[in-house]
Amino acid sequence: MSTILKIFAFPAALIIMCVGILTILGGHITPGGGFQGGAMIAGAFIFCVIVYGLRESPFKFSHDFLASMESAGALGFVLLGLAGLIFSGFYLYNVGTDLYNIVDPIIKNLFHYPDPTNAGILPYLNFVVGLKVLVGLSAVVIAFLGFNQLDEES
Amino acid sequence: MVYAGPLILGFVMGFILGTRIKTDPESKLKFTLGSYIVVLIVAVAMAYIIGPFPFYTDVPLAPGFVSAIAGLIIGKITFGR
Repeated sequence: MSTILKIFAFPAALIIMCVGILTILGGHITPGGGFQGGAMIAGAFIFCVIVYGLRESPFKFSHDFLASMESAGALGFVLLGLAGLIFSGFYLYNVGTDLYNIVDPIIKNLFHYPDPTNAGILPYLNFVVGLKVLVGLSAVVIAFLGFNQLDEES
Repeated sequence: MVYAGPLILGFVMGFILGTRIKTDPESKLKFTLGSYIVVLIVAVAMAYIIGPFPFYTDVPLAPGFVSAIAGLIIGKITFGR
């Protein structure tokens, strides 16, 4: 790739990642959410990997990192769902908002997201979905580029 | 009024990504501290242009955006070596 592209790609990727994070954070009240934001962050990573190559890319997503983030995302989603099941009797019940007044106020305050919209656990769900999506899409591209390198070497 | 939710989640997400920035010392392209400061300035200007997204009533710049870039840079400085 050209030098101009190499100078531009990394700072641009940082900004695109921030836009992706902002999309995740506004997912409960505006268009967007975990999947879209995660895909934007993965897009920034893919941009860097294509411009610099897998070995020289400034973003090093190791196998352990990908595995741990994927697991944390899935586990976070299940645990938030189980919190609803334990405290209200319904899986994925929004215990932070508690529309039906069936949850203890202490639990409600514990899961309450500090914002003016009384969103409850939705931003946390967006966050963990964003983690899963960014890792999943990045892993696909890393695998394809890895196979490509193996082909070239053999 | 600044709400803590987007500040905390944005910072955490940025920090996680920032820890994975590991520049190659043998590479011809060097991203020095100055380049990160330029990115920070551009990001703050961009956050001001975006406005108080997503709540529209708090501070005049997007708090999630600023905390995300702060998390990215702090993550890079602390663990991204």
